[in-house]
Amino acid sequence: MKNIRTALLPLLFPALVMADDLAVDKVYHPYVQPLEQEVEWRMVAADGDHLQRLGLGQSLNDRVFVEGYLLAAEEGDTFRLEGYELETRFQLTEQGEFAVDWGMIVELEKAHQEDGWELATAVLMEKQWGRWIGAANLWLEYEWGDEVKDEFETAMALQTRYRLSPAFEPAIEFYGGENTRALGPVAMGDVRFGAGKKLHWESGVLFGLSKKTPDAILRILAEYEF
Amino acid sequence: MAGPPVIEIEIKDHLFFPDEVRIPADTKVKLLVKNLDPTAEEFESYELNREKVIAGNSEAIIFIGPLPAGQYPFFGEFFPKTAQGKVIVE
Repeated sequence: MKNIRTALLPLLFPALVMADDLAVDKVYHPYVQPLEQEVEWRMVAADGDHLQRLGLGQSLNDRVFVEGYLLAAEEGDTFRLEGYELETRFQLTEQGEFAVDWGMIVELEKAHQEDGWELATAVLMEKQWGRWIGAANLWLEYEWGDEVKDEFETAMALQTRYRLSPAFEPAIEFYGGENTRALGPVAMGDVRFGAGKKLHWESGVLFGLSKKTPDAILRILAEYEF
Repeated sequence: MAGPPVIEIEIKDHLFFPDEVRIPADTKVKLLVKNLDPTAEEFESYELNREKVIAGNSEAIIFIGPLPAGQYPFFGEFFPKTAQGKVIVE
């Protein structure tokens, strides 16, 4: 296993999360619903420390969704704000219109009180085979600033999901980045609270496949749509 | 090249018209869903793997299929007690 401090570096410096270090986060889907708002919380934890994101999102129309996040990290007993992120997701094709559904995402992230920036964009793809869904996010990222090395990076996230029921869908996810190779089971589902209101949850454990990736990475997501 | 066949569905008074849509098996179909109500509605179907919010007095396109024969229920999430229907693939 890689050195714990090195493994947790991305958790302590969120501006680096996407690029240099732990690329485990979530798999995005290329769809946007108009008139939708959401509050999102997600956490990625490894070796006792974790990074959390708290986001507030709003669709602008049936093609564009924007969301802002606060990022906070815990190292040992210290829990503090580490950065900010603004994300815009675009639905490029209608679901089922072509052989593959296409979308795009653009993210701008800044480290709190540090000169560390990251601009990231990804192509979002999704395809259905009966009850099976395959999703892929292919990232290109550029980070810069006094606190980080100016460089381009690439990353990818893959998900295969089985549509068992609205409340529970099992999946397998893979995350790859410069220092990340992680694969593991994930489960997700929806809990409905009434007209247009639902809680979407995801939880899984990704197992490191390389020396630079922690042995086990927990990821949890809760998203309340209203 | 001709696109997929288009079938119109209207939402009026929180009901789908028609509430039964018949389509051929193994064929992609384009649903044109017109929401004639002033309030938004969400066309939702887990069986079809589709959910689409349609603002009041507007319309949306939903592609479904190709599907094997069977029945695929859908409903309006904002008014689920009244807005119900199904796609019959035959």
